[in-house]
Amino acid sequence: MTDPSATPTVHLVDDDPQVAKALARLLREHGFRTAVFDSAEAFLAQRDASAPGCLVLDVNLPGLDGLALQRRLAEGGPALPIVFLTGHGDIPMSVQAVKAGAVDFLTKPVAAEVLLAAVRAGVALDARSREAQAASAALWQRHASLTAREREVLAGLVAGKLNKQIAADLGIVEPTVKFHRARIMARMQAHTIAELMHLVARLELAPDARPAAPPGDEAHDSPM
Amino acid sequence: MNGRIARPPDGVTHVVRSRLRFRARPTPRGLLAEDRPAWARSLACIVCLIALWSPLGTAASAAVKHHNVLVLYSNGRLLPANVEGDRAIAETLSARADLSVALSSEFLDSPHFGGEAFERAMADFLREKYAAAPPAVVIAGGKEALDFWLRHREEIFPGVPVVHVGVPVSWLERVRPLPPDVVGIPIEHDVVGTIEQALRWHPAARRLVVVTDTGPWGREWEQRLRALTAGLADRLAVEYLVGLPADELQRRLRDLPGDAIVYSPGFFVDGSGRAFLPREAVRLVAAASAAPVYATFSTLVGTGIVGGRTTGFDAIGHRGAEIVLALLEGTAPASLALPAVMPTALHVDWRQLGRWGIDPQTLPGDAVVHFRTPSFWETYGRWVLVVGVVVLLQAGFIAALLVERRRRRSAAAALLQSEQHMSLAARAAGLSMWVLDFGHRRKELREDAPAPAAAAPVALFDFAGTLEHILAPDRDRVEEVIRGALASGQDFDVEYRIVAADGTLHWQSARGRADPGQGQRLLGVVSDITQRKQAEAGAAQAHAALQHMTRVALLGQLSASIAHQLNQPLASILGNAEAAQKMLQRAPVDLAELRDICADIVAEDQRAAEVIRRLGALFRRSPPALAPLDVNELVRDTVELTRTNLLMRQVALETTLAADLPPLEGDRVQLQQMLLNLIVNAADAMNALPETERVMTIASALDAGMIRLSVADRGPGIPAEAMDKLFEPFWSTKAEGMGIGLAVCRSIVAAHHGTIDVANAPDGGAAFCVRLPARATP
Repeated sequence: MTDPSATPTVHLVDDDPQVAKALARLLREHGFRTAVFDSAEAFLAQRDASAPGCLVLDVNLPGLDGLALQRRLAEGGPALPIVFLTGHGDIPMSVQAVKAGAVDFLTKPVAAEVLLAAVRAGVALDARSREAQAASAALWQRHASLTAREREVLAGLVAGKLNKQIAADLGIVEPTVKFHRARIMARMQAHTIAELMHLVARLELAPDARPAAPPGDEAHDSPM
Repeated sequence: MNGRIARPPDGVTHVVRSRLRFRARPTPRGLLAEDRPAWARSLACIVCLIALWSPLGTAASAAVKHHNVLVLYSNGRLLPANVEGDRAIAETLSARADLSVALSSEFLDSPHFGGEAFERAMADFLREKYAAAPPAVVIAGGKEALDFWLRHREEIFPGVPVVHVGVPVSWLERVRPLPPDVVGIPIEHDVVGTIEQALRWHPAARRLVVVTDTGPWGREWEQRLRALTAGLADRLAVEYLVGLPADELQRRLRDLPGDAIVYSPGFFVDGSGRAFLPREAVRLVAAASAAPVYATFSTLVGTGIVGGRTTGFDAIGHRGAEIVLALLEGTAPASLALPAVMPTALHVDWRQLGRWGIDPQTLPGDAVVHFRTPSFWETYGRWVLVVGVVVLLQAGFIAALLVERRRRRSAAAALLQSEQHMSLAARAAGLSMWVLDFGHRRKELREDAPAPAAAAPVALFDFAGTLEHILAPDRDRVEEVIRGALASGQDFDVEYRIVAADGTLHWQSARGRADPGQGQRLLGVVSDITQRKQAEAGAAQAHAALQHMTRVALLGQLSASIAHQLNQPLASILGNAEAAQKMLQRAPVDLAELRDICADIVAEDQRAAEVIRRLGALFRRSPPALAPLDVNELVRDTVELTRTNLLMRQVALETTLAADLPPLEGDRVQLQQMLLNLIVNAADAMNALPETERVMTIASALDAGMIRLSVADRGPGIPAEAMDKLFEPFWSTKAEGMGIGLAVCRSIVAAHHGTIDVANAPDGGAAFCVRLPARATP
């Protein structure tokens, strides 16, 4: 919950305006903000990506259809959780959607509690996703504060090398290595070596959260 | 016959004679009319006209000169030579129409009479007798007569010219020279030529027997013959039977051997003193003789002799008379150029040729044949010809009759066979023939009809009889058709129902035409078509079932989109309703929002109902019902049904609907099915295309009075080899297709009197085009 005050927004994409209107009305009654789009293209163009929430997506859409939109969104990194809603769905279609990460695959007409449960699950998923995203971003920020020499030393530490091995590798004396090590611990806010190793592992798991490197301080490659 | 053949061929003489004889008849026309057939009468008239018109006819009216001519014959009146010659002279003299000749005959009756006293008396008699009408010319018939004239002429008829006939050359040579006004052509009895001819015919002959008497006649002949046969002595032994009594002579002649031939000039008296005419004497000789007899007088031919070379007495008479005529016309006797001797010819008796086995082929060319037995052909040739022609005509007629009879029989047989075939065919086809005569209200029926409706007491095949039994709704129509056929003479073909007495309904078909000859008559056949009608009804039912089945199958293909279309309003309704429920838990209730929700629910419910309505008719199995309908509305309705399907398949739809189309008469469900089928097919055709290229075009237009409806896709088009089979049942390009859809489409279009065809568009894709007749504006 990065921002507990923020009300989650449910994005509705349906080419049937009456259906979209009814669902939006229902969701609003249950405390969600809603954003209605009549096509996938309109959604891509007009959405507010920062708004937390989920996407209720009709499968059959003119132009880009629901499943295609799901693929498109997945290409762009972590995306809004998707609840599919279709007038007539078949099993292959639903399997494809769920395998691609959909929260649920519902058919119209849909009971309110079923829809709400799925929407809530989606919103929760989005909240957790956004939280993890924020943590990773903070960690990357700490990592970004390291100097180049410190990152080299950190790489040595992650590889399990002794101080004097690192010193020999880098052509520096062992006390310098120790100094750098202390600075790394402080900058990464780690109290023990084990905690530092855990933080580095988390960084590796969330490479997407890595902020764009400032010019001149180009990140070398992945920490691996 | 005899005269005609014996006379030298002198056509002119003959014709003139005929005319004279003809003129001599007193009332030729009357006679002709009585005893001649019509053709002969008309021929006679023509001949008569020619005769009257000819110069001869006119010459009759010229001045006629009268002359007297006297003939003095040597012998008696009955001597055949005299009879024959006298007739010839008379004929020739009377043939001249410009001359009137009075012919008198006198006879010296030699050799029975003679001597100086007789001659004196005769001379006196003649002078006295003819003093009043002296002859202009006298004729001497025979050497005795000429001798008489030469000696007594000056005292009887001084200065009158003498014409001699029948005088032998040998005798004349003794009295020559003759006075200049004594003229004539001598004759010659060609004894040697006769004997030589006989020897040619009887090469084995060694003896010549001469028969005559001992009188002046016989002596003279014997002398002559002895002289003439001297040259034949080496070939023939000549024997003279002279002066024998008749019976002795006959006996001798009967005993003649086979190598003998007989020559006889005849005799006037036999050894016993009995008098004969030479002709009768020779007849006696010929009758008794065992050998062929020859003689040199033409008058002896016919007595039993074979014949001889001589001159006929009729020719002698004619020739002499011609000389008389020349003299009568004033010709000087000295200026007459006369031949030295009368020509001779071989006179033969045809019957004797046969008796002596002489081949007629050996007759010389100038031979004169007497008593020729005319061949059967010559005698009856004309009759044979006529009878033959009649027989031939009769035979031909009979043959023609037989042929005709045979032809008629075969025609009758063919007719019978044809009738049997027709009967068989009619029976096999279940036909019955009828004649309906409105003029006499009479009907004739062929009884060879089968009776599939035998249970019905009313003869179902009695067309006229069943007219009253026709089911009321059909009766007017049938009667109208019959009246029309009677009026127009056109063929008619009508189907109707009748109720049999047992209450069963039968369909019948009557075909016929007006009899061209008789305006009030109809001919035709009638057949029971109940089974066919039942089969047709069954087929129609099966067809309807098939249509329904394919429609349901088609809707099955659309089930996803149909479900979608129904679920959309349902989802909207449910969402709205549940939103309203939630709203009602709060206070205060936003009534405006609630009203809006209710309005939306109502609208969405109607939307669902509309979907159901559209589908309902398609799922229902209802009989076809024709009604005027708007094609564009039909298109829009159908498109709505398939919109979601097309959306799901990413097919863009373009519609180009012409405004102001006239309505068409049709069954809405069937036409919608047809259109649905075309739309689904078009969508299927574009499955393989990239999504952005899937465009379907539906267009309506008015095209030459027909409403044209086309559904075009941008797929690969129809392969050329599939074009022909496309509309055939159970032929499909789709793996899951049954191949019924387009066949049903075609049957639907055909039922609406329209056409359906398909063509590949030049820029790809196929276009199905349906043409339906617009409803005739009322």
